[in-house]
Amino acid sequence: MNSVDASEHYEQAATDLAPALLTVIIDTNPHAWAQLEDSLSLSKAIANILVFINAHLACNYANEVAVVASHSQKATWLYPVHQDKDTTTSSDQDGDISMNGASAAAAAAAAQQTNKYRPFRMVEEQVNRNLRELMNSTTDNDLRLTTSTMLAGALTLALSHINRRTIAWAEAHGGADLEDTAANGAGGGSGGPGTARYSAEDDERLQSRILVVSVSGSSDSAHQYIPMMNSIFACQRLHIPIDVCKLSGDAVFLQQACDATKGIYMCLDNPGGLLQYLMMAFLPDQRSRRHLVLPTNVNVDFRAACFCHRRVVRTGYVCSICLSIFCEPPPGTVCLTCGTQLELGDYGAKPALLPRKKKKKKRVNGSAAGTPMSTPTPGP
Amino acid sequence: MADSDEEYVGEVTDDEDDFQVSRTGPERRSKRRKQRGGAEWELSRTWETLVEGADGTISSTVEGLLEAGKRKRLLKDTTPLQRGIIRHLILTLDLSQSMSEKDLRPTRYLLTLRYAQEFVREFFEQNPISQLGVLGLRDGLALRISDMSGNPTEHLTAIQALKPQDPKGLPSLQNGLEMARGALFHTPSHGTREVLILFGSLLSSDPGDIHQTINTLVSDQIRVRIVGLAAQVAICRELCTRTNGGDETAYGVALNEQHFRELMMDVTTPPATDSQKQSASSLLMMGFPSRTMDSAPSLCACHSNPSRGGYKCSRCHSKVCSLPAECPACGLTLILSTHLARSYHHLFPLINWVEVPWRRASKSAACFACGIPFPPAPPENQWSMAEGHAKGMSVSSRYECTACKNHFCIDCDLFAHEVVHNCPGCQSKSTRPLEAQSDTAPAVDGMDTTV
Repeated sequence: MNSVDASEHYEQAATDLAPALLTVIIDTNPHAWAQLEDSLSLSKAIANILVFINAHLACNYANEVAVVASHSQKATWLYPVHQDKDTTTSSDQDGDISMNGASAAAAAAAAQQTNKYRPFRMVEEQVNRNLRELMNSTTDNDLRLTTSTMLAGALTLALSHINRRTIAWAEAHGGADLEDTAANGAGGGSGGPGTARYSAEDDERLQSRILVVSVSGSSDSAHQYIPMMNSIFACQRLHIPIDVCKLSGDAVFLQQACDATKGIYMCLDNPGGLLQYLMMAFLPDQRSRRHLVLPTNVNVDFRAACFCHRRVVRTGYVCSICLSIFCEPPPGTVCLTCGTQLELGDYGAKPALLPRKKKKKKRVNGSAAGTPMSTPTPGP
Repeated sequence: MADSDEEYVGEVTDDEDDFQVSRTGPERRSKRRKQRGGAEWELSRTWETLVEGADGTISSTVEGLLEAGKRKRLLKDTTPLQRGIIRHLILTLDLSQSMSEKDLRPTRYLLTLRYAQEFVREFFEQNPISQLGVLGLRDGLALRISDMSGNPTEHLTAIQALKPQDPKGLPSLQNGLEMARGALFHTPSHGTREVLILFGSLLSSDPGDIHQTINTLVSDQIRVRIVGLAAQVAICRELCTRTNGGDETAYGVALNEQHFRELMMDVTTPPATDSQKQSASSLLMMGFPSRTMDSAPSLCACHSNPSRGGYKCSRCHSKVCSLPAECPACGLTLILSTHLARSYHHLFPLINWVEVPWRRASKSAACFACGIPFPPAPPENQWSMAEGHAKGMSVSSRYECTACKNHFCIDCDLFAHEVVHNCPGCQSKSTRPLEAQSDTAPAVDGMDTTV
């Protein structure tokens, strides 16, 4: 009898909630931040984001965080930084060496902040240092060449890191592997009979989510359409929500990303209150979100732009080979993207009226078999 | 070492064939294995491939084997082929008495139904604008389980409903094929016509001449793929070979549960279009509806369920509750542009990454994407020793993208090729200066700029 009670007790203690991995993608596009300078400077935004990260780390001692910068010409890690980047000598395998490699000022700052919770300090130092490095390495030439941001790359990096952490966590704790869950829960939107099973499995593994702090407009990222979509579908498959905190502009891709992955999309009316928005809307993890009324975005722009004139279309023509969208049948019915000769089908053609009319006439004149008439007419 | 191994093998196996194999060298054995084809698992002796490491343990070899196994899965052809993206597939399930065998756990029947459900999900994940129908073969008849439609939930519930039933009678391939042919008869010519049969029996009890049916299938350009559960059957082989233009890979016999699953999931990748067949390509009219959210619930046109949200057909404004769908009122295909984008990775696959020899390994110490440290390069005189211990596997545990020259670990390689379909390195650098030089990117870039 005693053993029954005891086992129940232990079981409850053993099912510790899985920690959460938050990956923050900071859009550091200098052009967009320059425009935003009046309401919210980059340094202030970073300070706010760091407070938010600290809050996330404080939620659970095992919570993890990763920060990626999506800069104008490259996407790069801000935290955690990998060995080969910050150590000049490749033979160094010890993590402590990189700390010594930091500038003297940072070391002095570290000495001052000895009272700070160590994970907080680590994130803060590394993010600040790497962001400074990133900004220093940006040349005028880079800025002139491009005004967009490498969001697709940042998302791919973030996903790779999430994959690595999930594998590592599953190995350590025997939970479900990310790909196993992907294979089992492949039908993300299909609901179906197995929905309950997936959510149970989701609970067992590392809870990952991605937060994109975005400032660039949508037209900038048009050339990354396919990579971006690929990353979004990967997130959808792996049940990783993408949350978007939009400080300026409006990005269609990001709206679609949030909608597909069931994340939160928020366009901030007042960027100065960034921290408030972050804390209120983006802090809860997937488990808590089930019990909350989330700020959702109902008006997602799903319209497609045609490939030929970039018009936004409601009804379009799609090439069956390469799936390009056209607003009208392309000239010569040759697909502009893949060059295939296409058959137009019956869409543009008008209904063939003449033959039918003739038939009808014939029938009326020809015989009275079909329609009963009071006065029969003689056949020809 | 070697001696003791051979003795061990000789003692255990009493099969003459096996005995002979164990006496011959490894080269002969691998040749034999190829000849035996599907039966290779009977001959593979995993303990023989183990080699003790310098420290006297086998952990390094085991890790190597694990890595090689992962690698094998992703070394696929990445030539950008023209593929039939818009597919029409009839999934035919064998529901005859042979399916109650328990050689696949729990039974062939239950496992097939489970995998069929997974297949339906994965199929619509990979082919969002395609159509699927499900048939069953039971009691010598072909049963219609679910009609051709693009909605996975209908198929899933229909397959789920089969679970309490029992398999019985004999299967008739001919009846199944004729019904599949009827279902595919009026599919448009720009789509593919495919039949996938999960066949557990070793016979087919047909009312007529199945060869005539095969002839009509060939003339109707219907491709048949079969996954056998028992053993190879001559008529299945002929059927697959003839309908696939001489390609024998369309017929596979499952060795075990895992292999069965792999064979089925292979079919979810859209088939390459045959250049000779010249399937008619055409321009399809499609609607891109916008989402609406009403203040009061209204009935949807597809299921007559009251709902507040939905999508309005861009031609006739009837409300449908989920996409992709065909408008129930005017017949317009309604999709989201994201559904089209989902198929792009089939059209523009990510190139395979190459193994990195020790010579070039020193330039990276950690995986570019996830940051896991790589093993450091050993001194130069040990390079050749470690080389060539497992096929398809990099000696330095590094894999290089030939476009961006970054090094990645095996897990990121798998993840990038199977899940994300993006190269983390190529996407993280500005493509603009590279556009002129790189020879792998133009197809994708051409696509990008037009969006």
